Amino acid sequence: MLKYVLKRLSAAIVSMFIVITVVFLLMRLMPVEGYFGGRADSMTEENKQRILENMGLLDPWYEQLLNFYNDLIHLDFGRSVTLQPNTPVVKILGKKLPYSVGFGLGAIAISLVLGCSLGVLMARRQRGFWDKIGTGYIVFINAVPPIVYYLMIQISVTAATPLPMLFNERKPLSFVLPLICMALGPTANYAMWIRRYMVDELNRDYIKLARAKGMPNNKIMVRHVMRNAFIPLAQYLPSTILFTISGSIYVEALFSIPGMGGLLINAIQKQDNPLVQAVVLMYAVMGVFGLLLGDIAMAICDPRISLSRKGGSR
Amino acid sequence: MENNVVLSVRDLVVQFTLRGQVLTAIRGASLDLYKGESLAIVGESGSGKSVFTKSFMGMLDKNGSIKSGEILYDGMDLAKFKTEADWLKIRGHRIAMVFQDPMTALSPLVTVGRQIAETLELHQGLRGRAAKEKAIEILRDVGITNPERRYKQYPHEFSGGMRQRVVIAIAVACNPEILICDEPTTALDVTIQAQILDLLRDLQKRYGLTVIYITHDLGVVASVSDRIAVMYAGDIVEIGRSDEIFYDPRHPYTWALLSSLPQLGERGEDLFAIAGTPPNLFRPIKGDAFAPRNPYALKVDFQYRPPYFDVSPTHKARTWLLDPRAPKVERPKNLDRIREMGGFIHE
Repeated sequence: MLKYVLKRLSAAIVSMFIVITVVFLLMRLMPVEGYFGGRADSMTEENKQRILENMGLLDPWYEQLLNFYNDLIHLDFGRSVTLQPNTPVVKILGKKLPYSVGFGLGAIAISLVLGCSLGVLMARRQRGFWDKIGTGYIVFINAVPPIVYYLMIQISVTAATPLPMLFNERKPLSFVLPLICMALGPTANYAMWIRRYMVDELNRDYIKLARAKGMPNNKIMVRHVMRNAFIPLAQYLPSTILFTISGSIYVEALFSIPGMGGLLINAIQKQDNPLVQAVVLMYAVMGVFGLLLGDIAMAICDPRISLSRKGGSR
Repeated sequence: MENNVVLSVRDLVVQFTLRGQVLTAIRGASLDLYKGESLAIVGESGSGKSVFTKSFMGMLDKNGSIKSGEILYDGMDLAKFKTEADWLKIRGHRIAMVFQDPMTALSPLVTVGRQIAETLELHQGLRGRAAKEKAIEILRDVGITNPERRYKQYPHEFSGGMRQRVVIAIAVACNPEILICDEPTTALDVTIQAQILDLLRDLQKRYGLTVIYITHDLGVVASVSDRIAVMYAGDIVEIGRSDEIFYDPRHPYTWALLSSLPQLGERGEDLFAIAGTPPNLFRPIKGDAFAPRNPYALKVDFQYRPPYFDVSPTHKARTWLLDPRAPKVERPKNLDRIREMGGFIHE
């Protein structure tokens, strides 16, 4: 197990290295006008050159790259250039991350509980009441663009209840609507997958055997059906949790939450190289580690998967 | 074993609804099961042998139900059972089942020991260490070496034959009165088959079980069963002691079934096969269901369903050929060779 994890880790570091290098080089291909913050026309050539030189952008590209690696090794992500000039990148991220992660984790927790329960209810009586309700809900969520029902919820709920329309750190009540909005989609997906996997499991021979040995249905559901149905989900859960870091563009914009949503797009538009590099590095880490953690989670849940070479006798 | 009936089925009718049509899978079958015996139910695919026994445990698929008839067991009529709670008194506890395919019958995420122990918890009220010790003892009983180590292993670490031993262990752990073995050896290697049958015979003695074997393998039947019931199109057409069925079969379907034994084939000639196909159970059947495929069929076979005629106190068959008014018909000559083959039955 440890050997496997170390092997995967080193592969992960290599792929992150490649990603970050490509992004670094791509950013250098962009036109330099972006660095002058819309004042390019009124600046003298001399001023422009000075700005570029101060940023270290006039050095040969390989020197820039080496400097960049050197900074990374020392965990120095540089300072923002254009978005919030001279603020350390780490500080910008440090301010925004807690909002996105907080809301993201909250939404995942809610949707896991609701989605799994709904999925179980749907699977227990196929074509029953809950199955029909759930199917309608899942179809709605997947067919309607989220921004439509986000807006509907924001407008109608705030009109009918005293819940605030915009996010305010000091008012916990204002957390409710963004959380609900963010949980709606994942709830539908969890419900859909849990139902599907459980229905698959219900028809297995070992469920028949469990029935034949006189196990009550409720116990069969919990001990055998749900356990088996959860395995495929276990693989994706770590990725999902890590990706909350990226924030939700719609919800954060709608409720004016100062989170990560849209940060990357803004940073790219403004050519804020250090910020882009830091954010991309973060995403790469998330993607690679999400998959790795997913594999490990699955190995923990399923004894048939053995990550080390030995063991696994067939 | 005589006069000691543990389970008595009377005129059982089981129907399934498929795409709006009604399929009658069991057409008024009756059976008495005696304490401590081993009964084999034989018949071709689709004859209803599995459905018949599943109805004793409330294990019919959702679209199936018992239409009429009785299943009398321990003063209860199981045919009247409706709720899960009713069946939980029977399932595993009094009647247990061994399935055909051991590769898929065990939950892959739960250790083998745990799956046996949870059965013990359900039926024998054992908990924790006591359940574990008993489970290990049963594992040893079903011939698994090093049971302490095996207890902690998962099904994928077991071979097919070993898994079937575990499935049997689970059934035995219920401490049932009746054990239904649904094609217990079909999915196994031939070499393993004999071991599993030996094990079942051994357990039957040790635990005082009454065993029903469902099979289409007459070789299996011959080696394990005291009595044989021959099923065709949802009905038991002939039933008797093993020697009576093998040496003195009376129903033309039994003749056909025995004739198709490869051992009776002549070198260089085609093996015997029963002509035609089983009847369509979506439609009501008039007369004897086997009549259209039966070269010995009488006119009456197409009109009226035959009753059971007693051949001996232990042997009866449902064919008009046994009626005193019927013309004398000799059974196929090659069936006499079964007796010559001797060792074929009861080794």
